[in-house]
Amino acid sequence: MMKKSLSGLSLAYLLLVLGFIYLPIVIMTAMAFNESSSYALPFRFSTKWFEQLASNDILLRAGWNSVLLAAANTVVATVLGTMTAIAFARYTFRGKVLLQILLFPPIAIPWLILATAMLIFFFYSGIGRGLHAMLLAHVALSLPYVIVIVGARLQSFGTDLEEAAATLGASPLQTFFRVTLPTIAPGVMAAALFAFGISFDQFVTSYFLSPPGVTTLPVEIYASIRKGFTPEINAISAIIILVSMLLLLAVSRFYRFAGNS
Amino acid sequence: MARQGRSIFALTVPTFLWLTVAVVLPITVMFYFSFLSASPFGTKPASLTLDNYATFFTKDFYSFLAWRSIKLGLLVAALCALIGFPAALVLSHRLSGYWREALLLLVILPFWSNALIRIFAWTMVLREQGLVDQAVHAVLPWAPSVGILYSYPAIVIGLVHSFLPYMILTCYISLQAIDPSLVDAARGLGARDHTILRRIILPLSFPGLAVGAILTFVPVVGAFMEPRILGGRQGITMGTVIEDQFTEVFNWPLGAALSFILLGIVLAILALCYPLLRARFRLG
Amino acid sequence: MKLVASCALSALAAVAVLVGTQTAALHAADGEVRVLNWKGWGTDEPWAIEAFEKETGLKVVHDYITSFPETFTKLRVNPGYYDVVVLNAAFTQQAAAEGLIQPIDTSTIANFGVLFPDLRDSPELNIDGSNFGVVWMWGGTSVSYNTDVFPEPPTSLEVLWDPKYANRVCWRDDAEDSVRFAALATGQDPDKPADMDKIREKLLALKPQIKALWKSGDEWLKLVSAKECDLSTVWTNNTEAAAVQDKLPISFIVAKEGAIAFRDAMSIAKDAPNVKGAEAFINYMVSVPFYQGWVKVGGAPVSANKEAIEQLPESSLTRTVLAAPEALPRLNFKGPLTDEQRQSYLDLWQEVKASFAQ
Repeated sequence: MMKKSLSGLSLAYLLLVLGFIYLPIVIMTAMAFNESSSYALPFRFSTKWFEQLASNDILLRAGWNSVLLAAANTVVATVLGTMTAIAFARYTFRGKVLLQILLFPPIAIPWLILATAMLIFFFYSGIGRGLHAMLLAHVALSLPYVIVIVGARLQSFGTDLEEAAATLGASPLQTFFRVTLPTIAPGVMAAALFAFGISFDQFVTSYFLSPPGVTTLPVEIYASIRKGFTPEINAISAIIILVSMLLLLAVSRFYRFAGNS
Repeated sequence: MARQGRSIFALTVPTFLWLTVAVVLPITVMFYFSFLSASPFGTKPASLTLDNYATFFTKDFYSFLAWRSIKLGLLVAALCALIGFPAALVLSHRLSGYWREALLLLVILPFWSNALIRIFAWTMVLREQGLVDQAVHAVLPWAPSVGILYSYPAIVIGLVHSFLPYMILTCYISLQAIDPSLVDAARGLGARDHTILRRIILPLSFPGLAVGAILTFVPVVGAFMEPRILGGRQGITMGTVIEDQFTEVFNWPLGAALSFILLGIVLAILALCYPLLRARFRLG
Repeated sequence: MKLVASCALSALAAVAVLVGTQTAALHAADGEVRVLNWKGWGTDEPWAIEAFEKETGLKVVHDYITSFPETFTKLRVNPGYYDVVVLNAAFTQQAAAEGLIQPIDTSTIANFGVLFPDLRDSPELNIDGSNFGVVWMWGGTSVSYNTDVFPEPPTSLEVLWDPKYANRVCWRDDAEDSVRFAALATGQDPDKPADMDKIREKLLALKPQIKALWKSGDEWLKLVSAKECDLSTVWTNNTEAAAVQDKLPISFIVAKEGAIAFRDAMSIAKDAPNVKGAEAFINYMVSVPFYQGWVKVGGAPVSANKEAIEQLPESSLTRTVLAAPEALPRLNFKGPLTDEQRQSYLDLWQEVKASFAQ
């Protein structure tokens, strides 16, 4: 086995990168505790934004809606995306390139234009606005990410194990659940985490496709920009990040998703 | 073969249908709009025209901005790869067990925070008298002010931060799949670290690196929020120009035409890289 | 597989809860007034909604826009959904011409009589003898300055081009306002500038001055609190709110060349489901008590109601600077622009910004 020693240098590097990634999150959280509504310094400690948040029903409901929608999106997009990634990696078929090209518009066309296009099309096709429309949009935007992330994992493995399982008489479903899925689990988990994030921070499509009166957190944030949003938004974001961090760290204690070591 | 056909059908049709309804059909409608002389549903009658596409070539600043956006995308993708790949390598080959899971989660989680709030947080870090400035002065009191907010580097930092998690993640899932015994065997045969990196690790993790680069480059080309808020007078990009056609004037046809041109350029660049990608992917 | 199963179950539960929320939202249509406006622009003040709901028994539901073209998109794809729409008066004619709003029976608006006549009866709102909008608020877009940097207020727009304030100007990233400011600074009619080349040059000359280009009021406030700008082009009511609520050293001027002013009016959407409720809402919105309340919480522009204006504190900037008798003649109320004008302004502004980046 390869030596798994953690040299000081590599650890320092990793911590440096994590520091870079977390810098804005730390500041976001700090500003939730700052008295000024416009990030003004010097820092004056205050919990007033958390107090205001506690009685801000609109924001709390928007946060809750965001979590629910993101959860639903994560499951649908991860399942569909993983299926497609397997088809891409394991088979050649007609229409494969076409389907692969279809993955680019959701990444490359600015979401504002996609959302406008969806609004118009959904309106005239009778799909309409609402939860189903938002879910339709979020999953479509998440699918390419799930497919390429799971696909990258599949690319890195040969088909030997699957072929061996098939030779030994395993059905395709058995092969999938016993061999393929455990192998690609890190990729699937990572893709799911991303799918959640894409939906959770999805503003434009939610904004265009939600019926009036139903809002999500990003919609609340972006609609507030004319007047200015208060650090209540920082407060709720900080709470969500911290809670999900604790939740996921707890889960990861019992469930290995980062791959065998 | 029939059974294989059925599997392929079952695996891909849901995605295919989903993308058709939610993306392809709406985009087709938008594509049609891009050939109209006036916005649909407006008061003016609209006829078919190529003018919107011609506009891109008649005004110099569009091609200037498109080129600028592409350079920005390449720069950000390269920086993400340079920073992200080593981090993924440390995660995948120097750590194990619970700590690896935990650190990997920690890399992805910030992605769940709101982009706008993250950008405003960066303004606090980068401005004069901001965190970076004060940190530098704490060590070197005589140093000149290092506020880099409202500049091109500020845009790059903001974007690298936004897309770094993608890169670390895609590199990680490829790197983690490399059989450690392969590395041990190479070392046993006397290969040095940099040879192992160049001959084994880099080729085998290439799919992840390539996917990470695509997931970074493509959206950065159309980015508008980070450039606008962090860039000051450097803040204009193709993305902001397209956005304005929808939010400032009611000119969907031009906005759509410009984004299809941008999409075309992006696809052309990826098509140029395709032979390289295909050859490399076979190694996987 | 337990994990997968529990994930799927929780997702199903999520969908069920969301559907529930949504159905509740869609089916409470009776006794509602549905308002389309910017968020945080008066109509959604919680105390105001509470007072109105108590008075009339109607429930107020808001939907928001983030740009004016969006108002049109939302009205088009939700016919028969909205009751009240807040529109900049420069867009009212266009909305009426497209059949998106309907004439208002002003006899049902009790406060109509106490609105300033020249605002109320302007040709932008009163189209062919029918009122398509009830004027609600007005305000300015002007130059604001840091009172610590300027012991004496500047008097001319030229201060924006003064090399002394290079890299200290926070400019509103808006094509129309940019052209209008440059037109004023070059002595042209901001509604129909004759010499666009002069305007281009004037805007190009801003390059060394600009610190940041801001788009939303939120960005501007964060810039000013971080002391990034000595001067900015911004809405007057935002300046006043920053000075009063956030205690920032800031004030604004109506320059000798003039300032830009806007007028917002309330319209009733075509096929509005609740016209009576819409009329009641509009009447409340132009009333004295509403304006009194808005002034108290801060950030209010200027009411179109003659009696309500008296509610502004004597010392308020709005009263002493913007609505001062000597300044009023220098205000240029935005007139309607044609689509071609808007497009050419945007093209020009994008070209200028591209040259800033070079």
